Amino acid sequence: MNNLADSRNGTASSGDDIAVRFDAVTKRFGDATALREVSLSVRSGEFMTLLGPSGCGKTTLLNLAAGFFSPDGGEIRIDGARVNDVPTYRREIGMMFQNYALFPHMSVAENIAYGLKVRHIAKKERDRRVEEVLALVRLAGMAGRKPRQLSGGQQQRVALARALVISPKVLLLDEPFSALDKNLRASMQVELREIQRKLKVTTIFVTHDQGEALSLSDRVAVMSDGRIRQLGTPEEIYRRPCDRFVASFVGDANVLRGRLDGFDGAHSTVAVGTARVKVPEAPLRGVALSTPVDLFVRPEQLKIAEICAPSAFGGRVAAQVYQGGHVDLYIECAQSASDRLLVRSAGQDAMTRWPVGAEVGMIIGIDDAVAFPVP
Amino acid sequence: MNAQPFLRPFTAPAVLCTVGLVAAMAAVLQFSLRAYVPGSLEPGGFTLANFSDLLKPLYAKVFLDTVWICFLTAICTLFVGYPLAFALVRTQNAILKSILLVIVVTPLFLGEVVRTYSWIIVLGNNGFINSVLMNLGIVRQPIQFMFTTFGVVVALVHVTMPVMVVMLAAGLSHIDRDYQKAAESLGAGPVRTFLTITLPLSMPGVVAGVTTAFAWTFSAFATPQLIGGGKVNMISNLVYQLGFASFNFPFAASLCVAGLALTIVVLTVLRLAARPLDDLKAH
Ligand SMILES: Nc1ncnc2c1ncn2[C@@H]1O[C@H](COP(=O)(O)OP(=O)(O)OP(=O)(O)O)[C@@H](O)[C@H]1O
Ligand SMILES: [Mg+2]
Repeated sequence: MNNLADSRNGTASSGDDIAVRFDAVTKRFGDATALREVSLSVRSGEFMTLLGPSGCGKTTLLNLAAGFFSPDGGEIRIDGARVNDVPTYRREIGMMFQNYALFPHMSVAENIAYGLKVRHIAKKERDRRVEEVLALVRLAGMAGRKPRQLSGGQQQRVALARALVISPKVLLLDEPFSALDKNLRASMQVELREIQRKLKVTTIFVTHDQGEALSLSDRVAVMSDGRIRQLGTPEEIYRRPCDRFVASFVGDANVLRGRLDGFDGAHSTVAVGTARVKVPEAPLRGVALSTPVDLFVRPEQLKIAEICAPSAFGGRVAAQVYQGGHVDLYIECAQSASDRLLVRSAGQDAMTRWPVGAEVGMIIGIDDAVAFPVP
Repeated sequence: MNAQPFLRPFTAPAVLCTVGLVAAMAAVLQFSLRAYVPGSLEPGGFTLANFSDLLKPLYAKVFLDTVWICFLTAICTLFVGYPLAFALVRTQNAILKSILLVIVVTPLFLGEVVRTYSWIIVLGNNGFINSVLMNLGIVRQPIQFMFTTFGVVVALVHVTMPVMVVMLAAGLSHIDRDYQKAAESLGAGPVRTFLTITLPLSMPGVVAGVTTAFAWTFSAFATPQLIGGGKVNMISNLVYQLGFASFNFPFAASLCVAGLALTIVVLTVLRLAARPLDDLKAH
């Protein structure tokens, strides 16, 4: 693998640390605006995920990086060079397609060698690199097969190998795992991440699966309606969503109705029933006291407590679902914005301790929830 | 069929057509095995003489000419039709697409005779091409297009074009655009992408187009009749002469049978030659 890794380091050390930069990029299709002044910098060697609901412009942004169409405004740079007018075939990118797009009339080896042949690399060197990358994706011995003789997961790995063997400046992946079943998907995710780390290849990954985004990425850009709503590490995105869209799109969230009760340095206090919950202050800055706010809290951050605890608010267990590793408790609560709250309890005794019908209290730790003004 | 017995009544028209076709074929086959009685429309006794007569150089040449003309026409139609089909499938411009479609499809509605007459106007000694060439002083004498294989093939290419373009366009439109994008992302420019990806993947369409064009041309009658003018003969012209000028129905029937057999042989050979391409059709 030395060869692939070496060429990576070569590009990484030259120039600045940003591999791909979108600068106020706008893209329109007829009357519809797919991207509105999107700015995003992807660091060299970084695994960047574009996450968002269908139609938010993820594929469009990826295709702009690939050069399949050109932006209506703004600038795209790869390794510092402006590429707005550079055709795809001169961009030195690697792309993996949702349906793999393996050339059906070529063998696995020919598919992988295609990019090397285009670059006029001698046959001997070509064969060596094909073998090397086949070993990397654990497909040694499959070189002679035709794509249709491979399983979905194997085709996927060939597609990855084909994109990687040319040591691209950036690897672009558009929902690569959406066609795989759940188990295969999980193992391919791990494999992709390992290979990406090993080669340190800058990667832009598109998905609408928030779990996939959180588990794979160095950073996630959450998009909606042609804009980036939040850019941050998976933990930042999950723990500190910057608005209600991100809070409800990424991960499960309970919504509680409360009122802004006061400010206290870096925190705001929100009153939920009789309880007081401390939340980050930023999203509530400038909001008047007693304004109604919505409190977003993750199922595993909602803790069951004694009903009489002073900082708790009450509810009644409506249903229990045993999930193996944890127990999901559905709780009816006056403060809930939907009819039930979901509490995820890791304790194995949850089934017996809080039977259906039990009155329970719930507490939320400092910074374990975020609040936004009611729109 | 067995799983959906309620569909059976719907096969009735097909069955009727088949019965009619089989009966006609049987009649032709029966005629081809009867002796010719000069001066009579009734055939004589059973004989194989008609088929041995086919081997005479005069008739054998018509068979070879027919295959040669069909082959030339199919290949020329392919070369003219491929760019048209490609543009038709790939253009994003709706107006250009409509124009192309009209160019490709109108000949279908004109009928063979009308199209052939228009080619006589173009190719004749006083026709469009020769007038232009002579007025420009490029040639002194008109170039002989009429009554030549060249003239017949040119007109046949026009007649066959719609079929070819439709077959090619069907093949081309089934090629996933992602293959091309993948090739481009790997560094291949437009020409290389076309030669190494699009062209090979369009081969099933090419084979289908050439095969159909070949069979289509094999039955051509009006075009070789009018432009060939008796100097360029294809099988159907010979059948016409023997059947309706000499009233030698048995021999005309044997020509039909032999022509049909030849078509089947040629198409089978083409089909077998295209076997290796079957892989591509799944995609
Ligand atoms: N070629 C195109 N022509 C016209 N409109 C387009 C085209 N491609 C995308 N759009 C529009 O641009 C918007 C963004 O599309 P895009 O494909 O980027 O969404 P996406 O985030 O990838 O969605 P998905 O998760 O469904 O793939 C959509 O509203 C879509 O209808
Ligand atoms: Mg998409």
